[in-house]
Amino acid sequence: MATSTATYSETAASEAARGRGEPAWLVDARAEAARAFVATSMPSPALRPWKYTDVTALDVESFTPDAAFTPRVTGTAAAGGFAGSLVAALASHGEVVREHLGSVVPGTEGKFTAANAAQWREGVLVHAPRGQAFAAPVTVTVEGREGAIFPRILVVAEPASEVSIILRTSSPAAALLVAGVIEVVAQADSRVRLLIDTRWGADTREFTTLRAKIGRGADVQVGSIVLGGHIVKQTVEALMEGEGSTSTIRGVAVGDTEQHFDFVTLQELIGKKSSSEVEIKTALAGASRSVYYGVTRVEPTAIGASANQENRNLLLSPRAKADADPVLEILTNEVIRCGHGATVGPVDQDALFYLRSRGLDMRQSLVLLVTGFFQSVISGLDAPGLVEELESALREKLATAELE
Amino acid sequence: MTQPILELRGLKVSIAEKPDIHIVKGIDLTIRPGEIHALMGPNGSGKSTLASTIAGSPMYVVDEGQIIYQGTDITAMSADERARKGIFLSFQYPTPIPGVTMVNLMRESLKARRGAEVPAREFLAELRATLNKLKMSEDMARRYVNDGFSGGEKKRAEILQMGLLKPDLAILDETDSGLDVDALRTVSEGVNALRRPDMGILIITHYERILNYIEPDFVHILFEGRIVKSGGFDLAKRIEHEGYDPILKELGITSTKVAEGAAR
Ligand SMILES: Nc1ncnc2c1ncn2[C@@H]1O[C@H](COP(=O)(O)OP(=O)(O)O)[C@@H](O)[C@H]1O
Ligand SMILES: [Mg+2]
Repeated sequence: MATSTATYSETAASEAARGRGEPAWLVDARAEAARAFVATSMPSPALRPWKYTDVTALDVESFTPDAAFTPRVTGTAAAGGFAGSLVAALASHGEVVREHLGSVVPGTEGKFTAANAAQWREGVLVHAPRGQAFAAPVTVTVEGREGAIFPRILVVAEPASEVSIILRTSSPAAALLVAGVIEVVAQADSRVRLLIDTRWGADTREFTTLRAKIGRGADVQVGSIVLGGHIVKQTVEALMEGEGSTSTIRGVAVGDTEQHFDFVTLQELIGKKSSSEVEIKTALAGASRSVYYGVTRVEPTAIGASANQENRNLLLSPRAKADADPVLEILTNEVIRCGHGATVGPVDQDALFYLRSRGLDMRQSLVLLVTGFFQSVISGLDAPGLVEELESALREKLATAELE
Repeated sequence: MTQPILELRGLKVSIAEKPDIHIVKGIDLTIRPGEIHALMGPNGSGKSTLASTIAGSPMYVVDEGQIIYQGTDITAMSADERARKGIFLSFQYPTPIPGVTMVNLMRESLKARRGAEVPAREFLAELRATLNKLKMSEDMARRYVNDGFSGGEKKRAEILQMGLLKPDLAILDETDSGLDVDALRTVSEGVNALRRPDMGILIITHYERILNYIEPDFVHILFEGRIVKSGGFDLAKRIEHEGYDPILKELGITSTKVAEGAAR
């Protein structure tokens, strides 16, 4: 593969930004991020969130950025709002972008996030103005090709606004590196829904950080369905800053062959009476693997907060593997409820026999058991119309998965 | 003479994970179309093991003998193939399957039993007809399979599935246990309503209660993995009055594992 080290240098990044006519503040941010990228080494498995996903041999710079990458945005913004190209928004909504871009996920904090901040060519801004609700979900379609892409999505929900976003990702079988950053600014009493439908091709490696800052009385719900990709690492973080803020992170993944999924969640409870739920379930066939590292941190200020995290993994093959590492850091005595649960295990043999005794063959029985297992997560997804499509995609994948 | 529905020939069964534990120790049994057989016996005598083995549970292995169903040796056949051929087991302890609705399961199983798609309207019509026949409400069908069901609801849900799948051989494993008198009557009337002249029924129980509603043609007593006595309905009546001990004594049988027999 052609090396493109030069592209990732500080000089190249800032020159390219200038060449694209980006505003000075962004050119500076690009340079800073590129500097951080060069100075930062790949995360080592000694770091807990990277314990089971060893990327030390992955050479980001060997992936040439796909200069033509453009996410497609469909859907109509609420009056006075915006849903479309981030580059276009630099001109039309420059103040919003400048205020919030990089405010949630700084361009200097990690290898992949720095690569994204320095290299993104096109991205998406969804801006919901004060008191306005989008009539229908905004759909963002990311179609990767090969090389490297840096999807960048900024969601700004002003006070008492409502917006729902569906992100669909796909790619062909070619080698693709995806370093994504999704920033969500959910201001007071806003409601933000984000559903990610991940169907990368078999040689895509994704490393995405999604972080939401959640204000007083605001509610953010993130749902992630992962079916495709070779390595998919999604870090989803809810910073519950405001009093009474709420968040839910739901995930479902079906693994097969050599797929490797890695979910990291952070629920940081800061505001009084904030509350947050995490529920991630995987079903793993073939030699696929899922790892989960979830942190619930309840800050001393989070009086009356409540949180729960659950990670359940169903092994459909003796070669499949899952590791779950839930962590609670409770820094106040005044929590209402703070729990976690993690399980890894094969399907219930009694349930399997029960279904087979009703005439369903092994695969039909397993498909039914897995869809049942996912039900608690799927039924909670706030995505009417999409749920059936996702369920049938799950079934379709299971219909050919390597079961033993 | 008509071909039997089920023939067990010298059947010996042990536990798959513990092959040296022999539970069924040589059983011969023939059920012909239209016949109802009752298999009685104290707890731990091997009734459920026999039922699960006939249904094809991978938890048990047949060490010796054959299971012949409608003239075919099914000893090595998978549970689902047996079910599609018309064998139905009403479980003593039906397994909860959270997230899967009864409707969903029943639709899939009816499709499997017929070997063809069942159009939604046709399925609903059949489901409603069966619910009516069994005097059950539609609520049951919308719930998750056996999830949070009371003992009686679980048994009724089993009979509902039996009604929909129209088996040729129904094995009812302690369908009466955990039911109060009213529920027992409803379930028994349900079974009677579903009975067809060409089917065979094996009712497993350790009480004779259910037999007052579904009268058996033959009664067999299973004790420590063997049928030690067979007779007519009067045998069940005798057990009702005397329990198993006098009969066993009469047969000169003493338990080799009294303590175990009491465990349920
Ligand atoms: N899977 C199993 N593992 C261990 N022991 C078993 C298993 N299944 C049945 N048994 C034992 O076999 C004997 C018969 O059990 P079962 O067939 O359930 O009896 P019944 O239905 O007549 O009460 C009992 O002693 C029971 O403990
Ligand atoms: Mg039993």
